[in-house]
Amino acid sequence: MLRAGPSSGEIRNMSGEDIFSSRLKLLIIMAKAYLTGCPIGKYRKQAIIENSRFVFYHSLQLVNKMASSKDQGLKVQACTTFADDMHEEHIFYQRTLLLAVMAKALAEGRLKGYFREKALKENLNRIREAFIFNFNVKDVKCLKVA
Amino acid sequence: MSQVSIQNVKIAVVDGDLLVRDFVSTVLMYCVNRDVLSFDNGMAAWRYLEGADSPDIIISEVDVSGLNGFELLARFKEKHPAKKCLLMSANPDDEKIARDSGADAFLAKPVSVTDLFRVVETFVV
Repeated sequence: MLRAGPSSGEIRNMSGEDIFSSRLKLLIIMAKAYLTGCPIGKYRKQAIIENSRFVFYHSLQLVNKMASSKDQGLKVQACTTFADDMHEEHIFYQRTLLLAVMAKALAEGRLKGYFREKALKENLNRIREAFIFNFNVKDVKCLKVA
Repeated sequence: MSQVSIQNVKIAVVDGDLLVRDFVSTVLMYCVNRDVLSFDNGMAAWRYLEGADSPDIIISEVDVSGLNGFELLARFKEKHPAKKCLLMSANPDDEKIARDSGADAFLAKPVSVTDLFRVVETFVV
């Protein structure tokens, strides 16, 4: 019997945060696979669009939540470190929003041109720096065929 | 563990939690580039699985309403012994029962993208 997942001490139900981070990882893999030249078939396109939609709306919710915390009088300016963290987090979710838009565009065949691909690569690198996620698309045989 | 290669694979996912079910289905749909069936309870899944056009692989949460994952596994394996049935759970005690019941895989929650890729690499490619 194949066994996958965390060790028995770490088994738990999946939270909304687990789903978001897993879907963000999937979106990174999808974008990397596109940049590596892996083929995109009909259902892969559908999966990319569905995943982009989820990441987009979840990121948007997080951005709005952060903005409303700020509006509710949290004196973030009083603590420089906290304000910096909030700013970094805000930028991170803006980048995940952008990645979702880019991924949807690539699935729909609208991410054409040198500079758009360059922007996708740069955005991916920045997200991965903050998110600490390494994955080699070339290690996954099934992504090489569609 | 047998290594198989299934052409035009058909996969079904059973989980009562919509977020988890959709996530697992999206990863698998992307990975195999095929449509993936999904069910929110064991009885609805079984009604479909009983048919001639049943999936090659079923991935079910143990704790689902109607018919739990172990009951679904037993019925599915009885009808289609060569097909694969994988169980997911957030309860560590379910792992031994899954092994003893003849599950082809046990996926401990939280399930990751790489766990699901591993499933495809093992049972599909």
